[in-house]
Amino acid sequence: MLKEVHMPKLSPKSDEYFFGSWLKEPGDTVKTGDILFEVETDKVISEVQSQEDGVLKEQKVAEGDATKVGDLVATIEVN
Amino acid sequence: MADTKTKPQWLKVTYDQTKVDRMNHLLDGLQLNTVCAEANCPNLGDCFGSGTASFMIMGPNCTRACRFCDVPHGKTAPVDLLEPLRVAQATQKLGLKHVVVTSVDRDDLPDLGATQFVNVIKEIRRLNPNTSIEVLTPDFQGRTELLDQVIAAKPDVFNHNMETVRSLTPKVRSRATYDTSLSVLQYVKAHAPKTTFVKTGIMLGLGETDSEVYQLMDDLRAIDVDFLTIGQYVQPSKKHYQLREWVPMARYQAYYRAAMAKGFKFVASSPLVRSSYKAKEELEAVDGK
Repeated sequence: MLKEVHMPKLSPKSDEYFFGSWLKEPGDTVKTGDILFEVETDKVISEVQSQEDGVLKEQKVAEGDATKVGDLVATIEVN
Repeated sequence: MADTKTKPQWLKVTYDQTKVDRMNHLLDGLQLNTVCAEANCPNLGDCFGSGTASFMIMGPNCTRACRFCDVPHGKTAPVDLLEPLRVAQATQKLGLKHVVVTSVDRDDLPDLGATQFVNVIKEIRRLNPNTSIEVLTPDFQGRTELLDQVIAAKPDVFNHNMETVRSLTPKVRSRATYDTSLSVLQYVKAHAPKTTFVKTGIMLGLGETDSEVYQLMDDLRAIDVDFLTIGQYVQPSKKHYQLREWVPMARYQAYYRAAMAKGFKFVASSPLVRSSYKAKEELEAVDGK
């Protein structure tokens, strides 16, 4: 089953963040708690953890992209 | 001036959405403000993830507009008489062994908010007799009769932040002065029960010099302040006081060593340190609580 990963609300006061970098590539196995990607918010760089066990299928955003809360960021193939 | 646009790698925190959502959901139901959310704290993910938060009473709007602070300045709401009970219930629900209560400045109230602090302390203690209580208060304009009220409620830790060194205080803070804040700490230390620890905190990266920081430490030790927290200022927006420097880790370590040598009972000095961050661990370290 394919699960969608959406941009979480990382900052109480802002809904737009710069996408930092990917720590997992398509085809990589991911476990719950693994760092998937980094995002730069107003005050901090947030390492966002995976909420799923599976294989990263597709990256939907690139490093340096402006993203909004709720944007589709990636898909994960979950068994 | 050093590059302040690029965030340093140590300004990195881990975010677990499931845990943060759980905490947000719980807090929403309690109709309480947290300084974590109102000040957009970088440690929110860490603290919420581990089930802790610092409550901000009488908010969310503040009567002062300090240039470093992300808490909104604006029209204040009437004091909510049920807020003390809700804070006490939240403490119970979260199972907090140590609770930090701060507030916005309420220069519009005749008692500047002192009574609400007292009521919150009493309610927390009534429902959570084994929980230690830390208050992080405004300066109450230095009015000692108001400090007496709060002291009489016997918080375990009385925290009032100096925020910065003397020369930068007028540039960074609104209506507050270095000497008033120092007098607040001095009065509390001299008049509070011996069981109450007195604490303060400062931010780095505003343009302060080493000698100014050491002078501040000496000023604090001269009045026997117990705890000191030192953390990196992170500019909330372009409108706020301009960040001058990402202070290197070595300087935090040097300040830590100097402060401990000067006699503070506990010092937390690291970029992501905030007034209430790991406050429970701090009290445990000195008090065995």
